[in-house]
Amino acid sequence: MTIDPRHENFQQEALPSFDTVSPNREAIALQVERLGLQLDGKVILQEVSFSLPVKGVTSVIGPSGAGKSSLLRCLNGLLTQWSGSVAVNGCDTRQWRGGWDQLRRHVGLIAQKPVVFNTSIRANVCFGLKSWRQRRHADELVEKSLRQAALWDEVKDRLNAPATTLSMGQQQRLCIARALAIKPRMLLLDEPTASLDPHSKQLIEQSMLQIAEQTPLVCVTHDLAQAQRLQGSVIFMCDGRIIEQGPGEQLFAQPQRIETREFINWSVCDCD
Amino acid sequence: MNLSHLQYRDTISKSIVWLLAIPALLVPTIILGYIFWKAAPVLDWNFISGAAEGIGFGVTEGIFAQLLGSLLLAVMACVMAAPFALGTALYYCIYASSRQQRLLIAMFNMLQGIPPIVFGLCGLVVLVNLFSWGVSLLSGAVVLAMVLLPLLVLNTLAALERIPLKYTEAGRALGLDSSDIIWRLWLPRSWLNLLTGLLLAMARALSETAPIMFTATVFSGVVWPDSLFSPVTTLQTHIFYLAQEGNDSQVISIAWGSAAVLVLLVAVFGLLARVLKKLEAD
Repeated sequence: MTIDPRHENFQQEALPSFDTVSPNREAIALQVERLGLQLDGKVILQEVSFSLPVKGVTSVIGPSGAGKSSLLRCLNGLLTQWSGSVAVNGCDTRQWRGGWDQLRRHVGLIAQKPVVFNTSIRANVCFGLKSWRQRRHADELVEKSLRQAALWDEVKDRLNAPATTLSMGQQQRLCIARALAIKPRMLLLDEPTASLDPHSKQLIEQSMLQIAEQTPLVCVTHDLAQAQRLQGSVIFMCDGRIIEQGPGEQLFAQPQRIETREFINWSVCDCD
Repeated sequence: MNLSHLQYRDTISKSIVWLLAIPALLVPTIILGYIFWKAAPVLDWNFISGAAEGIGFGVTEGIFAQLLGSLLLAVMACVMAAPFALGTALYYCIYASSRQQRLLIAMFNMLQGIPPIVFGLCGLVVLVNLFSWGVSLLSGAVVLAMVLLPLLVLNTLAALERIPLKYTEAGRALGLDSSDIIWRLWLPRSWLNLLTGLLLAMARALSETAPIMFTATVFSGVVWPDSLFSPVTTLQTHIFYLAQEGNDSQVISIAWGSAAVLVLLVAVFGLLARVLKKLEAD
């Protein structure tokens, strides 16, 4: 278990402020250009370019090993040794004020399997709160975040109960609430409903759609039906590259690339 | 290859394993049994709680002063070494490059292999003579802390490595910085394992004789240390002293009694460590 901040060498001096605005900041929340990633000499991502609108869901689909999860980890700053450029609200993430830790507060990431900390439900939601002002309003924030994550009604009477007593589906929604509590500008979800029961899946999808009305949301999923239900745009990845992207209805109804067609038809994807 | 042949091979390999394992289990059991059998005539509460205040110095009286001296040295050494061990382990986990990590591990494994008497000799030259601390509680505790440091570092690393990576990543994903990760995630999650490592180090400290022989202990004339710069008397060196009086049967049985108490003390720390490990597992 190693935290590796070796790649966290930021140019702390003369940092552009968060308000350094690109001309189209109003329309674009995330701009990724020619993103590349190599780990242990293996190419994970290459020439990945796309942009996200300020709200709505973008689903990332593709076969296992396509680089979807790695893409999210690059965007969130958990992986930092990538090449190319990533700009959140017009600000280059490599020059983010406060470094990668601050960036991660603005770009929330929910893992595939829920990881709750060994404390109460309430403390879990508040775990990311750092400032005194945020902590002073913790009660309101806890309620708001849990409501957004569609969990409030189920836990409002036992906020001090251990978070580990919740079911897997509830734990995943708690993770979403915990990420929302720090008011991220963007939320990345890595197969958030994998291995959950249909009811939990439905609740999480509803919650995601609700969140996406205000916040851009990127969801990696293997479930094509889920990508369709979430509406929004879809990015299809294979072998570390974006093969096709566009509005969901169009991509699913009339895929332009043969690889996409094959994948949608549950064929084996062979991009070469 | 038919079934009976496979069963035959299995029986043979099982027998070989048992033949090799039995002596390994039997020898320590026999030694422990022998110690307690020899110690039984002197082992009572008065022996353990009686302080040697007269000229008998634990030969004709109790061993309470020695017991306390051993514990005092072990506790001081652990208290001194623990922060450095934790700091080193955290440096290893957070800041060290993979090359530095390999170097640190190799260094601490090597340090663990150095005979404790060498540490004792260094302590004698540097602390006792050069720093003029004399043969004292402080000199002994510092030398013992140096002996324990590699063990504590490796124990602390093992405790930190038991924390699942996903746990740290979940904290990282929330924007927690390294200090938050340490104080709010790692330490609350691993304190039981850290304490287990500390107890095992205490047990090791109680079993060390060589490093404190030159630096902390005297064989007679001292009951309680007056200050950090006073010498101390310990169970380990007491046994050594009594064993040299090999002709006197009473003295020898007191040596057996002291040895049994020392074994019990080490066993108590070992058992406590096991209890904590079980608590953590639950």
